[in-house]
Amino acid sequence: MVNENLVKDVVKEPYKYGFVTDIETEKISKGLNEDIIRLISTKKEEPEYLLNFRLNAFKKWQQMKEPNWAELGYEEINYQDIIYYSAPKQKEKISSLDEVDPKLLETFDKLGIPLTEQKKLTNVAVDAVFDSVSIATTFREELAEHGVIFCSISEAVKNHSDLIEKYLGSVVPATDNYFAALNSAVFSDGSFVYIPKGVACPMDLSSYFRINSGDSGQFERTLIIAEESSSVSYLEGCTAPMFDTNTLHAAVVELIALDDASIKYSTVQNWYAGNEEGVGGIFNFVTKRGKCLGNRSKISWSQVETGSAITWKYPSCLLLGEESIGEFYSVALTNNLQQADTGTKMIHIGPKTKSTIVSKGISAGHSKNSYRGLVKMGTKAIGAKNYSQCDSMLIGDQASANTFPYITSQQQNSEIEHEASTCRISEDQLFYLQSRGIEFEEAVSMMVSGFCRDVFNQLPMEFAAEADKLLALKLEGSVG
Amino acid sequence: MEIIERIKTNKLFSNPTEIQKLCLKKLQSNPLPNLKSELWRLSNKSKFSNFLDFSLNGNSTNFEFPYQNNSKNIIRLIIGENSPTNINNEDYSINELNNEELIAYIKKNLSSFDQNENWSELLNLCLSFEQNILGLRIQGTKIPPLEILSHASNDYINAKTLILIVEKNCNLDLLQINLGTENSSLSHSTYLCLEENSFVNHGMVAYGEKKSNLLNSLNVIQQQNSEYNLGTLHFKFNYARFEIRIKQSSGNARTNIKGMQITKNDEQIATYTKIEFNGPNGFLDQINKSLADDKSHAIFEGSIIVPKIAQKTDASQLSRNLLLSNHAQIDTKPQLEIIADDVKCKHGATISQLNEEELFYMRSRGLTLAEASKLQLGSFFKEIISFIPVPKGRWDLLNKLLKQD
Repeated sequence: MVNENLVKDVVKEPYKYGFVTDIETEKISKGLNEDIIRLISTKKEEPEYLLNFRLNAFKKWQQMKEPNWAELGYEEINYQDIIYYSAPKQKEKISSLDEVDPKLLETFDKLGIPLTEQKKLTNVAVDAVFDSVSIATTFREELAEHGVIFCSISEAVKNHSDLIEKYLGSVVPATDNYFAALNSAVFSDGSFVYIPKGVACPMDLSSYFRINSGDSGQFERTLIIAEESSSVSYLEGCTAPMFDTNTLHAAVVELIALDDASIKYSTVQNWYAGNEEGVGGIFNFVTKRGKCLGNRSKISWSQVETGSAITWKYPSCLLLGEESIGEFYSVALTNNLQQADTGTKMIHIGPKTKSTIVSKGISAGHSKNSYRGLVKMGTKAIGAKNYSQCDSMLIGDQASANTFPYITSQQQNSEIEHEASTCRISEDQLFYLQSRGIEFEEAVSMMVSGFCRDVFNQLPMEFAAEADKLLALKLEGSVG
Repeated sequence: MEIIERIKTNKLFSNPTEIQKLCLKKLQSNPLPNLKSELWRLSNKSKFSNFLDFSLNGNSTNFEFPYQNNSKNIIRLIIGENSPTNINNEDYSINELNNEELIAYIKKNLSSFDQNENWSELLNLCLSFEQNILGLRIQGTKIPPLEILSHASNDYINAKTLILIVEKNCNLDLLQINLGTENSSLSHSTYLCLEENSFVNHGMVAYGEKKSNLLNSLNVIQQQNSEYNLGTLHFKFNYARFEIRIKQSSGNARTNIKGMQITKNDEQIATYTKIEFNGPNGFLDQINKSLADDKSHAIFEGSIIVPKIAQKTDASQLSRNLLLSNHAQIDTKPQLEIIADDVKCKHGATISQLNEEELFYMRSRGLTLAEASKLQLGSFFKEIISFIPVPKGRWDLLNKLLKQD
C-alpha cells in the first residue's frame, strides 16, 4: 500500500536559488503612467517609433480587463505598486566582462551560469538578464563571424533598428492580450537573435533571467528571427530569490521562421514557487508565440515548468507557410499550492501544415495543473494534420488535474487527433521496483522520469539532464 | 426576442403557477444567459434570438407518432395531450405524481440551479403550463417499453417538461421523441431519477422540419448500483441545443452514453454534457459523434468532473467527428477535471472526413461513390442507432437518416 502519510511530508528541500544579491540598484519610483513609460524609453535612449509603440500599448492596456477565464485564484495585482525598471548600477558602458560588477558575476556563477571567460559553458552562448537589464552576452565575436546577431534587445534597438521596427510586435501585437499589452508598454530588456540566410547557428544560444528585487516586476521581450534555410536552438532559464510577496513576470517571446528555417525554443522555468503555505512566489504570465511565415518552416517549443506560484502560458504556433510544422512538448509539475494553466495554440492556416502536441502534467500537494490548448484548422488548411496527447499524473489525493482541449475545424480535408489520459503511480509498478531493491523515492522518481521521457527526449542535452534532476528534487518526499 | 421582452415586463401570463412565479423571479433580474461564457459562446446569436422569437402557446395541436404502433405492448404518451391513467398490476405500476409531489420535486431542483448553467431549465419551467408537465413514478420489472412524445406547434414556442422517478430495482426501456414542426421552437426538459439498483435504457430522438428550433435539457440523478444507458440522436434543426447533466449521487453506478448529431444546410446543433461523480467506483463510457455538411456547425462540449471523493472512477469520453464540406465547422472540447488520484480517466477526439482508402477499396469493387459513402456513413451511424432502445422493426432510424436529403 502506498503510504499516504508521505504525502504530508511535502518537499522539504529548500529552493536553492532563493538568495538575494546585495547590490546597489537603480530603481525608478513605483507606479505606471505615461511619464514612467517615457522615462524608461529615455533611459534606454530609444527612437521615437518605439516610444510610440509603448504609449500606444499603454493606452490599449488601460482599456483592457485582466483576464479571469483561467479561474486562477490569486489576489488582485496592484499594478501601481510595482517598480517597472530596476537595474544594477554600473558604469555607463561596458566593453568587456572585466568591468561587470564582480558581485553580479558571482550571482550567475552561483546559479550555475558562468559568464567569465575561463568558465564559459562550452558551446553555449549566454545572455544574462538581471532584473530589468541584460548584463552580459558571451561568445559574441564567434557568433558574429557567422553573421549571427545575439545581443540584448536594447542593443538591438540601437544597432539593428530596421529589424526591430520591422518585426517587433509582428507576431504578438501590442494589443494581443492584457499582459502582452503591459509588456509592450514597459518592457525593459530581453534577447534579440537574428540568424542570416543559410546559417545553421554554430552553438546553442541561451538567455538566463534572474529577478533580484522583490518589488519590481520583470518584463522582458525576446525576438528571434530565422531567415531562409537557417536554424537555431535557443534555451531559456529563470530563477528568482525567495520573497514573501508576489512578483510579477510578464514576458513576451516572438519567433519568426522564414522559408525552410527552423527554431527550437526550450525553457526550463524554475522561478520561486512560494512556500508550502503558498506565500510568495512569482506570477508568471507569459505570451509566447511563433510564426511559421515561410514554406517548410518549423518552430518547436519544449518546456519544463516547475516553478512559479502561478503559471499562465500558452506557447503557440501560427502555421502560415505551406508544409510548415509546429511542435509543443511540455512537462508541467506543480506541488504545494502552485497553479499552472498551460498549453498551446496551433493555428493551421496554410495547406499541409502539421503540428504535434505532447503535454505531461504532474500535480502533487494541493496544486492545480491544467492543460488548455487550441487546435484550429482554418478554411485553407488543406491536408493539415494535428496530433495531440495530454497525459496527467496525480500524486496524492489533494491535487487536481484538468484538461481543456479546444478543437475547431473548418477544413474537411484535415485530420485532428486528440488523446488524453490520467493516471497515478501504480502500486504494482512501485512494488516491483522496490522488490528489486530500488528505494521508494528513487522508484517514484524513475517512474516520473519515464512518464516525461517523450518530452525530455526533445530537450537539448544540457537541459534534459537538468530537468530530470529538477523534477526529482521538486518531488522529493511528496509522493504517497 | 419576444419571450424575453415579456419576461422582463411581466406580461407572460395572467396567473402564473407557483413554479412559474419562482422561475420568473430568477429570470427577471437577468433574463439571458451570459453569451460570452463557455457554455454559450459558440451559440449562433441570431439563431438563438430566433428561438425566442415566437409567442407562447400552452395548447398543442393534435400530433401523431412518427411511426405506427405495431405492438399492443407499448405504453405511449403525448405530453400535453393525454394524461396517463394510473396503471397498477402485478409486475409493475406507473402512477402520476400529484401536484404537491411535483412542486416539491421541482423546488428541490430549482434551489440548486445556476442562472447561467441551468438557464435552459429555468426558461423551460417558466414557460411550461401545468398541463405540459408530466410527472411519473415507475415501479417494478417487466414494464412494457414506454414511449413519450413532445412536440411544438407551428409559429409558437412550446415548453414541455417530463419528470420520471424510477424506483428501486426497476427495469425500464424509455424512448423519448421530440419533434419540431415548421417555424417552431420547443423547450424541453427531462428530469430522471434512478433509484438504487434500477436499470434504464433511454433513447432520445429529436428532429424537426424547416426552421424548427429546440432547446433540450436532460437532468439525471443516479443512485448507487444503478445503470443508465442513453442513446441520443438530433438532426434537422435550424438551431438545437442539447444539454445533458448526469450526477452519480453517491458513486458505484454505471453510465453509458452514445450520442449523435447531424447538421446540414446552415443548421447549428450543439451537445453539452456534464458528468459528475459524487462517490467512488463510478463508471462512464461516452461517445459522441457529429457530422457536419454544407455550411452547418456542429458543437460538442463534454466535461467530466471527478472530485476527491470519487476514487476508483473509470471514465472515458470519445468525440468523433466527420466534416463533409469545406464550409462546415466542427468545434469539440472534451474536458476532464480531476482531483481524485486513484482514477482512470481518458478522452479522445478526432475530426476527419470519410476514409479515402476505404472509399477507393469499395469503388474498386464496383460500388459507386454515392453507394460507398452511404455504406461508410451507415457504419458511422449504426453504432449510435443500435444503442437507442427501439428495434429496427418498429422504427428504422438508420434508413430514415440515410434517406434524408
